Amino acid sequence: MFGKVLVANRGEIAVRIIRALREMKIQSVAVYSEADRGSLHVRMADEACAIGPAPSSESYLRGDKILDAARKHNAEAIHPGYGFLSENAQFAAACEAAGIVFIGPPASAIARMGSKTSARQLAQAAGTPIPPGTEEPVADAVEAARTAAAIGYPVMLKAAAGGGGKGMRRVDDPQDLEAAFRDASSEAERAFKDGAVYIEKFITQPRHVEIQVLGDAYGHMICLGERECSLQRRHQKVIEEAPSPFVAQHEGLREKMGAAAVAAAKAAGYTNAGTVEFLVDANANFYFLEMNTRLQVEHPVTELISGLDLVHWQLRIAAGERLTIAQEEVSFRGWAMECRLYAEDPDNGYLPSPGEITALALPAGPGIRLDSGVYAGWRVPFEYDPLLIKLAAWASSRHAVIARLQRALEETRIGGIKHNVEFFLDILSDEAFQRGELHTGFLDEWQRRREVRRAAPSAIVEAVLKQAAVKPARRDTRVSHWKGGASWISTA
Amino acid sequence: MDLHRVEPGVWSVIIDGQQLEVAVEKDGAEYVVTIRGRTQRVAVPDPRAWESSNGDRAAAGVAKVASPMPGKIVRILVGPGDRVEAGAGLLVVEAMKMQNELKSPLRGKIVMISAAEGAAVTAKQTLVVVEADAD
Repeated sequence: MFGKVLVANRGEIAVRIIRALREMKIQSVAVYSEADRGSLHVRMADEACAIGPAPSSESYLRGDKILDAARKHNAEAIHPGYGFLSENAQFAAACEAAGIVFIGPPASAIARMGSKTSARQLAQAAGTPIPPGTEEPVADAVEAARTAAAIGYPVMLKAAAGGGGKGMRRVDDPQDLEAAFRDASSEAERAFKDGAVYIEKFITQPRHVEIQVLGDAYGHMICLGERECSLQRRHQKVIEEAPSPFVAQHEGLREKMGAAAVAAAKAAGYTNAGTVEFLVDANANFYFLEMNTRLQVEHPVTELISGLDLVHWQLRIAAGERLTIAQEEVSFRGWAMECRLYAEDPDNGYLPSPGEITALALPAGPGIRLDSGVYAGWRVPFEYDPLLIKLAAWASSRHAVIARLQRALEETRIGGIKHNVEFFLDILSDEAFQRGELHTGFLDEWQRRREVRRAAPSAIVEAVLKQAAVKPARRDTRVSHWKGGASWISTA
Repeated sequence: MDLHRVEPGVWSVIIDGQQLEVAVEKDGAEYVVTIRGRTQRVAVPDPRAWESSNGDRAAAGVAKVASPMPGKIVRILVGPGDRVEAGAGLLVVEAMKMQNELKSPLRGKIVMISAAEGAAVTAKQTLVVVEADAD
């Protein structure tokens, strides 16, 4: 096993990986940008190395600086987390060339799955169903229009190098295609330095269901069931759960999807942890979407129902150990669900809300798992993804896990910034959600029919506010005003 | 009503045997009140707030467009003197990997741009001033 591993990431996922390293008695090296000197992942690491200015293009995306840091600190391996360099085949190859283990699949497998068009070809050759569309990126808006007309609207434009919803546009109407093509291509260019876009048929009200796979370097690969991630906004997942309420109701579907995922991953020469994403229609047809060649944000829900630690296994497999679990030994218990707590304003177009976390109360008790990258007094930087904390829960049934998450959210308090705790309380109490009637457009529809609950300031709130005003942390010239029994106005 | 301060900004309230925990945080002129995960913003009318809003009214027809959050200006879509329609994009601010286009609230003329592409901006910083067309 490795003696020291560098974690090439930040935030909650860097903290998650450092925790696994500590459990395995492996020394950890954190890297940080100028904006992250005081970040939690740096505080938790054994060693730390500055890698440059705040913009990720000058720090967390600089493979050369990260390799320098690994050499300087004598790290034997690099865990890339998710995002940043995790699906960058050149970086994985540079690690291999430098004699430093990249904790993930071989660079060749990343390259094969990294281009969505080549991934589709691979999947198709392995017998995995794919949605109708182009296998090569389209050259320009004119070709895009011709192709879209041939496969029929609605269509989806997707960045060939993409992920995380960047460079994706749904187009319902031919007259919107040219603008959408331009937007998707320029967004892809900015995000991935590759503006190539391909076209796919849009499947109406699909579910997003993904299969976790885990394979060693000796040809043994297993699947660890599915996660349902249909609740998305702007193609970013918001709530994930395992198992999928849909797959759980369709006998044999899990096994079929699992076999298809393993076939596609094996065709790419895949090792380590990976995820094959599928769209599933109402008739339980499933279509290969893409493969994420890394640890997923939502991996905790799989860990909670399978009892396996994916990061431990990533490290063991990368160190050359055999995966000692047979497919028949994999079993699932209960239900797990995860809420991604973001620094954003869900009532205002999910506008990001960076700033200082002035107060933080987090839930605990039975069945709660927290993966947090923040602490009270820390300033959330504006340069990075707004994910603060993953709040996951486990319980014996879907019904019970929803109740447990509601309880946990009620215990949660994040002061100083806007966040989506209340948004989750509203979703979890929605009847359609509770019945498991999910699809990737669910959230947009729900936002339109959502009844915003506005508790009127009560006498209790008024009394507490008077106390707060007469015992301020610092002098406040308006204190006298509070004594007059003023009328309170709720402004939001 | 029994109010007991349990930690900074947090009160436990017991009234007729019912217990409720209320967290309060000051945000400018408002208080953010959190009870069991749900938040409300509460303000008291402030005489000085009245004055400043009257002041704004005196300058009716001028809109100051400010960044709603700290971030970086990635693109400026208009120049001084440009005429814009209500809803027209003025500039694009990026924060946390998301780009947000700030739009003109009214039809009129750009009278000031106090921002440059690539510059960092703070929340509520005025970036563009638009003067409404006289009707």
